[in-house]
Amino acid sequence: MFAVLIDQFWSLTIAGVALGFIYVLISLGYTMVYGVLRMINFANSEIFMWGTFGTIITSRDIFHYTQTSEPARGFKLALVLLSSLLMSMLVAGLTAVFVEFVAYRRLRAKGTNRLATLISAIGISIVLSEVMRLLTASRPVGAPRVLEKIILTEIWGANIRLDTIITIIAAAIIFFILERFVKLSRMGKAIRAVSMNEDAAKLMGVNLNRVIATTFLVGGLATGAASFFYVTVFEYTKFNIGFTMGMAAFTAAVLGGIGNIRGAFYGGLTLGLLEVYASAVLGTQWKAVTVFIVLVLVLLFKPNGLFGEAVQTTRA
Amino acid sequence: MSETLLSLENVVMKFGGVTALGDVTLNVKKGEILALIGPNGAGKTTVFNVITGVYKPTSGTITFAGTAINKQKRFEITKMGIARTFQNIRLWGDMTTLENVIAATDVHKKSGLVGALLGFPRARKEERENRERAHEILKFIGIDEYSDRLAKNLPYGVQRRLEIARAMGTNPQLLLLDEPAAGFNPAEKVELAALIKRIRDAGYTVLLIEHDMSLIMGISDRVAVLDFGVKIADDLPSKVQNDPKVIEAYLGVPSDAS
Amino acid sequence: MKMRNYWNLRDWGAGIWERANRPKRVAIAITTIFLVALLPFAGASFLATPIAAYDAVLVYPVGVFILMALGLNIVVGKSGMLDLGYVAFFAIGAYTMALMGTHTGLNTWEIMPFGIAFAMLAGVLLGLPTLRLRGDYLAIVTLGFGEIVRLVVLNSTWSKGPNGIANIPMPPDIGPLKFKLDDQKVFFWVVVIMILLTIWMIRRLSVRRPGRAWEAIRQDEDAAELMGIPTLKYKIWSFTLGAAVGGAAGVLFASKNLFIAPEMFTLNVSILILACVVFGGIGNIWGVVLGAAILGYLPERIRFISDARLLVFGLVLVTVMNFRPDGLLPRKKREKAIVKKEVNA
Ligand SMILES: Nc1ncnc2c1ncn2[C@@H]1O[C@H](COP(=O)(O)OP(=O)(O)OP(=O)(O)O)[C@@H](O)[C@H]1O
Ligand SMILES: [Mg+2]
Repeated sequence: MFAVLIDQFWSLTIAGVALGFIYVLISLGYTMVYGVLRMINFANSEIFMWGTFGTIITSRDIFHYTQTSEPARGFKLALVLLSSLLMSMLVAGLTAVFVEFVAYRRLRAKGTNRLATLISAIGISIVLSEVMRLLTASRPVGAPRVLEKIILTEIWGANIRLDTIITIIAAAIIFFILERFVKLSRMGKAIRAVSMNEDAAKLMGVNLNRVIATTFLVGGLATGAASFFYVTVFEYTKFNIGFTMGMAAFTAAVLGGIGNIRGAFYGGLTLGLLEVYASAVLGTQWKAVTVFIVLVLVLLFKPNGLFGEAVQTTRA
Repeated sequence: MSETLLSLENVVMKFGGVTALGDVTLNVKKGEILALIGPNGAGKTTVFNVITGVYKPTSGTITFAGTAINKQKRFEITKMGIARTFQNIRLWGDMTTLENVIAATDVHKKSGLVGALLGFPRARKEERENRERAHEILKFIGIDEYSDRLAKNLPYGVQRRLEIARAMGTNPQLLLLDEPAAGFNPAEKVELAALIKRIRDAGYTVLLIEHDMSLIMGISDRVAVLDFGVKIADDLPSKVQNDPKVIEAYLGVPSDAS
Repeated sequence: MKMRNYWNLRDWGAGIWERANRPKRVAIAITTIFLVALLPFAGASFLATPIAAYDAVLVYPVGVFILMALGLNIVVGKSGMLDLGYVAFFAIGAYTMALMGTHTGLNTWEIMPFGIAFAMLAGVLLGLPTLRLRGDYLAIVTLGFGEIVRLVVLNSTWSKGPNGIANIPMPPDIGPLKFKLDDQKVFFWVVVIMILLTIWMIRRLSVRRPGRAWEAIRQDEDAAELMGIPTLKYKIWSFTLGAAVGGAAGVLFASKNLFIAPEMFTLNVSILILACVVFGGIGNIWGVVLGAAILGYLPERIRFISDARLLVFGLVLVTVMNFRPDGLLPRKKREKAIVKKEVNA
């Protein structure tokens, strides 16, 4: 049972880190929105799924690559990859803003209860996934092969593939940039002010609607980047991939302490590794079950996550 | 005077870096009206919150009728005989006035879900008792005429009184009233003062947070003053009124002029 | 004024009921039940469904949807908790029926208590750790739970995995009433009885202590706890009763369908049922019944909706929440009606 795990430990670890970075970026979508709204962004999983189509459209419809065509090289390769990344981010970012506008804004203005907002959000995520299901006739969509999956080198018996390395490095850079943005920029500071104390932030003249929309946008951009890496590594997408990925990324966010950006980083990586190891031992069909059990255990024993943020807040 | 009903000993409450209560010791005696006053943000509501279990104090002990209640769950504390009102009204808006009180009177009832479902005699009897008791309380408070109105549609003053009625519904020994006269005009305040006196005379002990000095001076047996989470005075109303430390706290002059 | 009354169906109905004396109420109830029981005979009328057999449609989706929506409404409507994995309890009931029906000699009615008990047990096990948490965590954990139950069933051998379980026995005949596949009248009557029992249970509990506790929890949980209500206990009760109804619906469904497979128990079912509750009016029994009847029936009648069923239901969720959060029939009578009554009295 454990033979596979021991045998392929290092290649599993590398795959786990790459997957972990994808989770890190998606869980930013959860964590940032949670920070300002104290509410789960239910549609983030579908925002991710829409993002994956940004990459497909770019490589297939703009640059006319197919699954059998020659992979790109050199400058062309960089160009196609970069535009795919940007397109995925754009699609996901806009979807996120759309979600905020349609599902959250009106209810926030009315000051209705959380239940209504939750239902509205779950509704919009159903709409997003169903529209894509109808558009793609429920079929999986293969990604054109732009990047040749060359094996760069071998370390401790593990193949280091180009796409994995690109994912790890580029995702780390994007995470770093976003983290700096939230720490240092004016808007980022406003976002953090709202996270800490909405009323105080309002008194200080923060335009709440704009801050919240921006938060969705930034969370969407991060999620969209994850979409790009997902397609690059797995070379396919489908209208229903959001659920599993979203659940895992949400678990990562909770693991790291939801609302906490650094926490998303550690939570994502931990979960990525855990998932890959567990699949090696138990079989991939139990992947989602493992993730779910982790989520329940964390909520049960460490609801504030490993890096803290009160999940249970009561005030009187 | 008489026996101590509730006592806080060296209670400290910290929120992250903020110390809301720094070492508060306070005794409430059976049958008295004790007023708790202090400037905004002094920690008065926080005292209520630690007593009722909303927050577990960082350190210190709280004893009610001889038992430590630090570890009790919130609903258990209420069941033991402490009930409160909220500074920012927190009624169940979509329930009627009567239902608000009945829901509170359920606390000491025995019948459970199965009894309710199958209509056991005890469940029926308890339903009847609840209803009668709730009407009694509403009459006592003087808002029985609003019984069938939704709480959210009640006039402001009635809502404040309903908060008291609901708390009384749990049949407490100790009532904690958090600024029950907030937003009242002078005439309403006089009326409320009389009501609080009647509540005490009916056998309840009252711990009252209030800003209005004349109301406090008129009805309380004792006044405790909090400032920046520390008790700076605890005495008869007339004494407290003239305490230089209290005057300073209210005028905002730093108490040590270094 | 007339116009208003017309629009406010809820107050209009409640008004009639309140003005009626006891014999009148009994008469109204019996007539209504009688008319409903006759529905299977109306297949040749405008109600006919072109897509599926009309009498079968009345049982599933319509009847079963109403039953499940009523169960989910105990959780979402009464105590304000969002359960997105309701299908799990339905699945547990259905698989209990399938496994026990094919492996033991027990019949549907004997298996029913087991199905309900297992669903309730799952409810408690899931509720204990999660109901302490705030609402949106419950939503996402139940969402995961629903999917996990399906995955476990899909990947296990005892459940025959994706192949599903066939040859599930039908219920035994009740005297002259025979359960048949090509004429599902009797199934329909059984569903109606189950629905009535559920309604009876909810109405009973609503006006008594548990109902008040749920209502208080829904509106302000902290205040409820501070007024001495053991909130966790009542939340678990609510969750578990909802699960019980879902389990019962599952048993009946399996025994009617004779074959079940994991693909029948996807997240979509949870969403469909939630949409029924929301559309009809969260918290209002008659609203929920009406909502589930409409949303269960329409896709069978109008093919366009049938193809994009889930999309329509998603839109229903967003639109209703944003523009008419009360759904078709609001939970509470409007204050005006009550005040008017006071003045008249
Ligand atoms: N949950 C909390 N988290 C952080 N700080 C808190 C919390 N609750 C209270 N505080 C802080 O503790 C201090 C005391 O607050 P409290 O509400 O007890 O004051 P108060 O005396 O009731 O004031 P007021 O007269 O305005 O009602 C304040 O500085 C407040 O910001
Ligand atoms: Mg206060």
